[in-house]
Amino acid sequence: MNPLLKIRGLKKTFPLTSGIFRKASGHITAVDGVDLDIFADETLGLVGESGCGKTTLSKIILALEEADAGSVLFDQTDIRKARGVELAKLRKGIQVVFQDPFGSLNPRKRVGSIIEEPMIIHNEGTKRERREKTRELMSMVGLHEDMLDRYPHEFSGGQRQRICIARALAVHPRLLICDEPVSALDVSIQAQVINLLVDLQKKLNLSYLFISHNLSVVGYISHRIAVMYKGRIVELSQADSLFSRPLHPYTKCLMEAVPEPVPGRAKGFGYVKKGEGGLSGSLTGCPYQPLCPQATELCSKESPRFEEKEQGHFVACHRAG
Amino acid sequence: MNTGKEHHPSKKSTPAVESKGALLEIQDLHTHFHTPEGVVRALSGVDLRLNEGRTLGIVGESGCGKTVLALTILRLIPQPPGRIAKGKIFFQGVDLLSLDDKGIREIRGNKISMIFQEPMTSLNPVFTIGSQIEEVIALHQPHLATTRRQARDVTVQMLDMVGISSPGKRIDDYPHQLSGGMCQRIMIAMALACKPSLMIADEPTTALDVTTQAQILSLMKDLKDETGTSIILVTHDLGVVANSCDEVAVMYTGHVVEYAGIESIFASPLHPYTKGLMRSIPTIEARKRGEILHTIPGNVPMGKDVPQGCTFNNRCEEVMDICRKEYPPVFVPAEGHSVRCWRYRR
Repeated sequence: MNPLLKIRGLKKTFPLTSGIFRKASGHITAVDGVDLDIFADETLGLVGESGCGKTTLSKIILALEEADAGSVLFDQTDIRKARGVELAKLRKGIQVVFQDPFGSLNPRKRVGSIIEEPMIIHNEGTKRERREKTRELMSMVGLHEDMLDRYPHEFSGGQRQRICIARALAVHPRLLICDEPVSALDVSIQAQVINLLVDLQKKLNLSYLFISHNLSVVGYISHRIAVMYKGRIVELSQADSLFSRPLHPYTKCLMEAVPEPVPGRAKGFGYVKKGEGGLSGSLTGCPYQPLCPQATELCSKESPRFEEKEQGHFVACHRAG
Repeated sequence: MNTGKEHHPSKKSTPAVESKGALLEIQDLHTHFHTPEGVVRALSGVDLRLNEGRTLGIVGESGCGKTVLALTILRLIPQPPGRIAKGKIFFQGVDLLSLDDKGIREIRGNKISMIFQEPMTSLNPVFTIGSQIEEVIALHQPHLATTRRQARDVTVQMLDMVGISSPGKRIDDYPHQLSGGMCQRIMIAMALACKPSLMIADEPTTALDVTTQAQILSLMKDLKDETGTSIILVTHDLGVVANSCDEVAVMYTGHVVEYAGIESIFASPLHPYTKGLMRSIPTIEARKRGEILHTIPGNVPMGKDVPQGCTFNNRCEEVMDICRKEYPPVFVPAEGHSVRCWRYRR
């Protein structure tokens, strides 16, 4: 089966500047040779800490950011090479829901016209058809149709996120990029939005790239999960096997750091090392090696290859297996 | 609403705690906000007790009054529109609400300190972190810092204590040169600079990554063991609560609806709201079983939307007739476990 989205060897670096003349003083590799596939009707979870390149990766997929190297094939067309009408068509197929439901809705527009806007941009239907479709979308995401003429500030955080989802679905996308869609919401509202996303996926045959730093949310919603560290995918596997048998030390560290709602299960934080692992220039060897409790000499010399250690379970680590 | 004895839930906590005595005791606390739309009762009758050396978790969704409670204790509520309408806050035997401005200023930062949610915005961007910590010391503990050199030495010690590597160098950094986790460490250093008896942490790790969160939580735990400071930890993350608190108060629409020791609240949550919160947490096991996530329908009501009777009645699965008429008093169905829910009327 051909994947819906096929990413190969994707690279993106940002220059680091210093001083008042913005002199280049180095560079940050935000995305460092990423290969990923997203299949139809699939939810791929992407986890990692802030600054690991998750958002940059999603921006490249949305053609909002220009990559340095590699290819992004959506339905076998390269997003990086597409221009004009072709690019517009690709963009229609990939929509996005952002983290902050307060910042991503125009406060001066009514909800109805916010949801309608993507249809206007992509020349869909007559004015009447668009209004009809807007009502349909509102009820699909669980909002009352009468709320059409209200402004965003009249809605709560969860409802605003529903509006964002309705807007993203207005032009029948096949891939929805959800960039931390529930991190800003309370736990009971978060559950409502997650249920909505799961429900919509079944109804509309959507694929999701679900980006989050919350492992329990990602574990619940994803079919497969990719773990990102310093611009690289370090582990990729089915959700179940990632949770039952994490192979990469960084994945183990992440899982150990999540406080479980079970008292008395004292956390050793054995893998959680002190020290700041910020993005730096190119490293030799494994990027996690300075913080890794299992690191050997080999790890500092040679970058590990991203290999399939078990059926469908890929990992980039010399010590895994 | 006063139901006499039952009104002080924490008095019935574990015996080991009782001997130590209460550091903070809040009685029937009401904080109101006067808005053009009417009076918003952000706190409507909170009773709480915190013993020395303990960590009290305050959980609930946004808009339930957690932060207002924290700010009320330090009298940081902007007045107007806010007003502390009623109640008493005894801290080491002194009612904080009866103190004048000078009196409360001696408590703030000195005996009770606060850590806010956003470390980046809580620090002044145009001063070095060193000068900001020195300022706290010079203001509250002048005897520790008679000279600038001395103040600097104390500051370096503080930075070292909260786990900042090479503190002698970092002391001259500006907040923007530090990561979020490091900024939060600085905030903790500032909060601990005066060796307070009580530290109020309002969502201290919400803005941080899980790994950084784990570090900050274990740092707070270590420092608590070292200095004996009591902590009030305001959070919406039940996982954080389970890992760092001794007692938990669950808040909803300005009331403490359930109060218990950490073990008993997770083993047997009583209030339908607490149960709902716990069941809304997604897990991979739930997905394997093909379960749909449990949700609490609706939103936290605000202002005039707050229903009559029990304020949770419009979202509650176990609602009864009486819930629509009268707000429940405190019931104590088990030792040290109190709840405001008609279900537990004997």
